[in-house]
Amino acid sequence: MQDLLQNHLLTVVVFLPTAGAAALLLFPESARQAAKWFAFAVSLLDLAVSIPLWTRFDVSAAGFQFTEKVRWIPSVGVSYALGIDGISLLLILLTTLLTPVSLLFSVTHVEKSVRAFSIAFLVLETGMLGSLAALDLALFYVFWEVMLVPMYFIIGIWGGAKRIYAAMKFFLFTMAGSLLMFLAILYLAVRHREATGTWSFLLADLTRLDFSASTQALLFFAFALAFAIKVPVFPLHTWLPDAHTEAPTAGSIILAGVLLKLGIYGYLRFALPLFPDAAMRYAPWLGVLGVIGVVYGAMVAYAQKDMKRLVAYSSVSHLGLVVVGVGAFTTTALSGSILQMVNHGLSTGALFLLVGVLYERRHTREIEAYGGIAGIVPVTTALFLVATLSSIGLPGLNGFVGEFLVLVGTWTSPHRWWSVVAATGVILSAIYMLSLVQRVFWNPLVHEENRKLTEIRWSELVAAGVLVVLMVWIGVRPNDVLSRLGPSVEAVRASVTQRTAQARALRAVGAGLVPARDDEAPVTTGGGQPQGPPLRHQGPTQASARSLRAVGAGLDPARVTGTTMRTAGVQSAGGGR
Amino acid sequence: MTTFLPWGPQSLAAIAPEIVLAVTGSVIVLLEAFAPAARRWFATLSLAAIAGYLYFLLRAPIGATFDARLDTSVLTEAVGLFLGATAAVAILAAKPYLERTGEEKGEFYALLLWGHLGVSLMTRGLDLLVVFIGLETLSLSFYVLAAFFRSVEASSEAGMKYFLTGAFGSAFTLYGIVLLFGKSGSVRIAALAHPGLAGDPLVVLALLLLLVGFGFKMSLAPFHAWAPDVYQGMPTPAVAYLSVAPKGASLLVLYRVLAAIFQDGMPDRFRAGVAALAILSMTLGNVVALAQRDVKRLLAYSGIAHMGYVTIALAVFGSDSLAAVLVYFFAYLVSNAGAFAAVSAFYRDETRPHPIGLLAGEGRRSPFRAAAFTLCLLSLAGVPATAGFIGKFFVFKAAIERGLYALAIIGVVNSLISIGYYLKIVYLMYMREAVEPEGPPPLAIADRLALSLCVVGILVLGIFPAPLWDLARRAAETLPFASP
Repeated sequence: MQDLLQNHLLTVVVFLPTAGAAALLLFPESARQAAKWFAFAVSLLDLAVSIPLWTRFDVSAAGFQFTEKVRWIPSVGVSYALGIDGISLLLILLTTLLTPVSLLFSVTHVEKSVRAFSIAFLVLETGMLGSLAALDLALFYVFWEVMLVPMYFIIGIWGGAKRIYAAMKFFLFTMAGSLLMFLAILYLAVRHREATGTWSFLLADLTRLDFSASTQALLFFAFALAFAIKVPVFPLHTWLPDAHTEAPTAGSIILAGVLLKLGIYGYLRFALPLFPDAAMRYAPWLGVLGVIGVVYGAMVAYAQKDMKRLVAYSSVSHLGLVVVGVGAFTTTALSGSILQMVNHGLSTGALFLLVGVLYERRHTREIEAYGGIAGIVPVTTALFLVATLSSIGLPGLNGFVGEFLVLVGTWTSPHRWWSVVAATGVILSAIYMLSLVQRVFWNPLVHEENRKLTEIRWSELVAAGVLVVLMVWIGVRPNDVLSRLGPSVEAVRASVTQRTAQARALRAVGAGLVPARDDEAPVTTGGGQPQGPPLRHQGPTQASARSLRAVGAGLDPARVTGTTMRTAGVQSAGGGR
Repeated sequence: MTTFLPWGPQSLAAIAPEIVLAVTGSVIVLLEAFAPAARRWFATLSLAAIAGYLYFLLRAPIGATFDARLDTSVLTEAVGLFLGATAAVAILAAKPYLERTGEEKGEFYALLLWGHLGVSLMTRGLDLLVVFIGLETLSLSFYVLAAFFRSVEASSEAGMKYFLTGAFGSAFTLYGIVLLFGKSGSVRIAALAHPGLAGDPLVVLALLLLLVGFGFKMSLAPFHAWAPDVYQGMPTPAVAYLSVAPKGASLLVLYRVLAAIFQDGMPDRFRAGVAALAILSMTLGNVVALAQRDVKRLLAYSGIAHMGYVTIALAVFGSDSLAAVLVYFFAYLVSNAGAFAAVSAFYRDETRPHPIGLLAGEGRRSPFRAAAFTLCLLSLAGVPATAGFIGKFFVFKAAIERGLYALAIIGVVNSLISIGYYLKIVYLMYMREAVEPEGPPPLAIADRLALSLCVVGILVLGIFPAPLWDLARRAAETLPFASP
């Protein structure tokens, strides 16, 4: 037991919910309350088990921590490899936090097939946590797809009126994106086999591969499409409002809080390090789509008559800002983006939860149906207001820190105007969110039934209260979070920028000195071989060509190798091996 | 000089598995005639026969017997496990099914065992005539099984259709065998491994005829037309067997013949033809399945699509691709035989059509069956952590290794289409209220056992695929593929 918690903490965190789900199968269908509370207890226990990830996390180290590696399908090189850095740490904790919050809310509000609901939710949690911890691409893909099934059921069985349509759309959209990624993963492994003679799906091994520009672009698109659909980036967002609106409240919290972030996470963890050249080349497009998303989402949100749909479109806008930060790719912007993901999880989670509180009492989400209820449900109003202020970025709350970092970081990038346009999104968010609060809580009370509205229950209060406390905490002490983020962000950035810069410099200068080579020929990682076995069968001619190009670049070969070693160091640390 | 049938302890041990099947089948028929009271033990007896079959198969000494006509190798052992498990699921599902319909006759089990004998001979034959005799034993047994409900129109229609198209398909196979015999002077598969043979136009014609003949048995488009009608009229547990085991055996025979002939690898034009069949089968199966309203027809078209996926592996060709095919068929066994076992457990009136609408609301009314069926469907759709995903993983990996990117992309696009109809059933079971007041028949223990077997298989193969993959690789290495 001690050993399990000491050396296999991530495995415990990831699979505890599934173990709980399996135990739930033994519950009789009639034990409704017991099933709900048991699921909640399991998710709470998982939260407790995940806390040591935060406390034992080494803030100064850049590489992956809590790593575990077991061979899974040895003859094709698929391993069960887990590990986290600062980025996954934050999102894992967000997941283990939002799951009990959602389940606590559901204790009083889910009445249909309770046991199945609890099982679906716990399996979903395993899927999310596994995707965040996996360092093997095949393993990641398994977790990534496993998430779809429980979410399909959660939307389709416990959702609103148009739930079937929404569930199907959600499933097909996400699956469509990831199937191409599946082929791209297989292609990477096959190429690794060709280059080294051994099979591997490990991220750390596959990042050492190099591809011609066109191959890299195709592979990058296969990955980026899967992640862009999940985020969702602007023209691919249409599944989101449907899924959000129709999902039960708990489903919406998880969907907005965690599932959408997995798109950004996947982009940072996999697409960037695997295809740095292509990622850098197409980053401006990504940023532009992000900017469009910010403004478009905000404007559409303002036009909504349904509270949940409004919050859903605000998600499109907020995640647009996150995408802008990722596209800008400065350290500040990246840190801001990641922090903003957590913030969005907290604030939007709270907003969905409180909309759910109102919905469960009035059974309508029409903004028109409310008004003037601030005096009747003061606690709900106060919580909603804090969540709103966090969402629109009031200084002192978490949202401000994230938005500020993204905007400042983008301003210092070559794409200054993104920052200008994206900043209007911040203003627009204040307009639509405050007008929502105004219309729901303050306007004159015209509907008599609102007088009988009951105040928030204690279970809902605890669920929302936890989120509000965290909003204030991150708002006041952002460095507690940012310090854990810094080295990881720097590592991601460094691995990409150094690789691309060196590759480009060498390619540009080398072109004049060395006879042009077949496009498929390797542009090796930064010129020198990183530690580990050579990736291609490089004869002496190629090696000397490399040093020639290095000289041509006005670089001492030794220095080139030196920088490479640093890159390699980051990468191997990144691989946790 | 060897005698025509060199008997000896060695060959007796080699053929013992088939003898067990033949004898048990005959005993069941005799008991049916003279001791009808023993009927309730027929299923148990048949399961015992399958157990005996596996026992003797795994104990048989490795090597060819009967003057190198009958193969015993890791390959036949692995395939035997697959066939035996399929038969076991079918028998388990058959018991309650036949009890419900009041037709619990010995013939059903006897024919199933004899058909199984035929399939087993197909996979073990090193001589094209042995293969053909196996094929015919299988076919004759299942022609009768298709028309098992004599008084029901759909069943008679199924028997007739299967017989006519099957005879047609067998004729193609036989023509192919004759041509190969004419060119090589022998019916031994090993004799085909002759350098000059691969480029000969008559040999290519023979191979195309074999492809058509076995394509019929595999329900590979465009030779699939019989499948939906036959599945619809045939007793569902028999379909659970027919839709899985003979397909695997047919593909294995094709592999054996092609591996012998194509010593220098598969020629590109032949590969293009196989790839075209794969694409046609996947696309046609999946698109037509979208429009089906009858669950057995839907699964028939899904099966046609799945044969398209495995044919991708045939187009890749080579040892690893055969290993991928073996893994795929194990996965297909637990998911497809499981799906038919679930259908058999769900429908009360077996002699009428099986509209999918009747499944509405079963998620709450019969949770175990619905959950098992859902898992089978997800596995057929290839969702990760199920056996179906592992099957697709290895097939697509083989395709990408060979550089057949277009096939792989068409394959995954087809997987996406297939989700549309698999999820339609899931949606009906879980997201709609029941329409049929009567509900499905009570769940028999045998049904529960069959479904549990498949559920466990789907999850174990999906989560711990390594042992199966290693077995499949060792099995595939027994065929003499040209090194790539």
